Amino acid sequence: MRNVGGAHRGLNLWLTQRAGALVMALYLIGFLVYAWIAGPLDYAAWHGLFVPLGAKAASLLFVAVLLVHSWIGLREIFIDYVHPIAMRLPLSFMFAVLYLGCLIWTADILWGVK
Amino acid sequence: MRFSIYRYDPESGAAPCMRDYELAFEPQGKKVLDALIAIKEQVDESLAFRRSCREGVCGSDGLNINGVNRLACTADLANLKEPIEIRPLPRLAVIRDLIVDMSQFFRHYRAVKPFLVNLDPEPESERLQSPRERAELDGLYECILCGCCTTACPSFWWNPERFLGPTALLQAYRFIADSRDQTTNERLDFLEDPYRLFRCHGIMNCVEVCPKGLNPMAAIGKIKSLLVKRVL
Repeated sequence: MRNVGGAHRGLNLWLTQRAGALVMALYLIGFLVYAWIAGPLDYAAWHGLFVPLGAKAASLLFVAVLLVHSWIGLREIFIDYVHPIAMRLPLSFMFAVLYLGCLIWTADILWGVK
Repeated sequence: MRFSIYRYDPESGAAPCMRDYELAFEPQGKKVLDALIAIKEQVDESLAFRRSCREGVCGSDGLNINGVNRLACTADLANLKEPIEIRPLPRLAVIRDLIVDMSQFFRHYRAVKPFLVNLDPEPESERLQSPRERAELDGLYECILCGCCTTACPSFWWNPERFLGPTALLQAYRFIADSRDQTTNERLDFLEDPYRLFRCHGIMNCVEVCPKGLNPMAAIGKIKSLLVKRVL
């Protein structure tokens, strides 16, 4: 049985951030190969890269993971430097909302490619 | 030789300040502690500092010397740029001159239960380990609790009450890694928290300053991998 004591969130977020880094690395390698296979990149070719649904989904996943990774990093910075809870929680919340906005915006951009 | 030493006497009511000292002293083969003792004997007997074994074993004379935390008794005078600046260990309350209040440091040390917990009946002789199990403790048991690493750690500076610091975490791993200890799970439970362990961001100041050449960050990394293995 576990002791009541730790909030048990340290590990989950730490691990999520590292798993996210792995997903981002895989996407970047995959995307470079995908772009390289597509041949010389002019605007039309670049545009064409994002037409398949798979590319849209993978790119959205990449941005989602990037935002989560970054939010966990920001939370670490806030825990280290912003000690008053009354400031830290609104800051974390504000960035969560901002990042959610970024994610919706990304989806809008990606699904705007036809 | 020229020295600039942090002075603070709470009874005088004066603010802390750096005071300069000049001393005719042959630095070859001598340590900073030798100079401090000479200053106390010949120049200013009011200078207060801790020391005991003079040979890097007891860990009582951890000081900030020219900006780096180290033991005064093992720091060669000849290699130091003058004036040699000597300050108490950072981020701990100063009791007087170079003497700091280590109670916070030892509270964290006690919090990790730095002793074997084994509820089996005591054997006739000692509890045996294989040479391999014993080797797991190398690089961990040598810690002398001087406080150089913990007080060099920015994560400790920002959250000294809640982050355990490299010393206590190294000691936590010393008992997690011990084959004779039966409370690994409880020890890991205690550390799985946003502050106690996970304030460590791998800055590595601890590794750089440890006078015994230990690597607290590697121990912290091993605790993290054990936590990960436990959930996967």
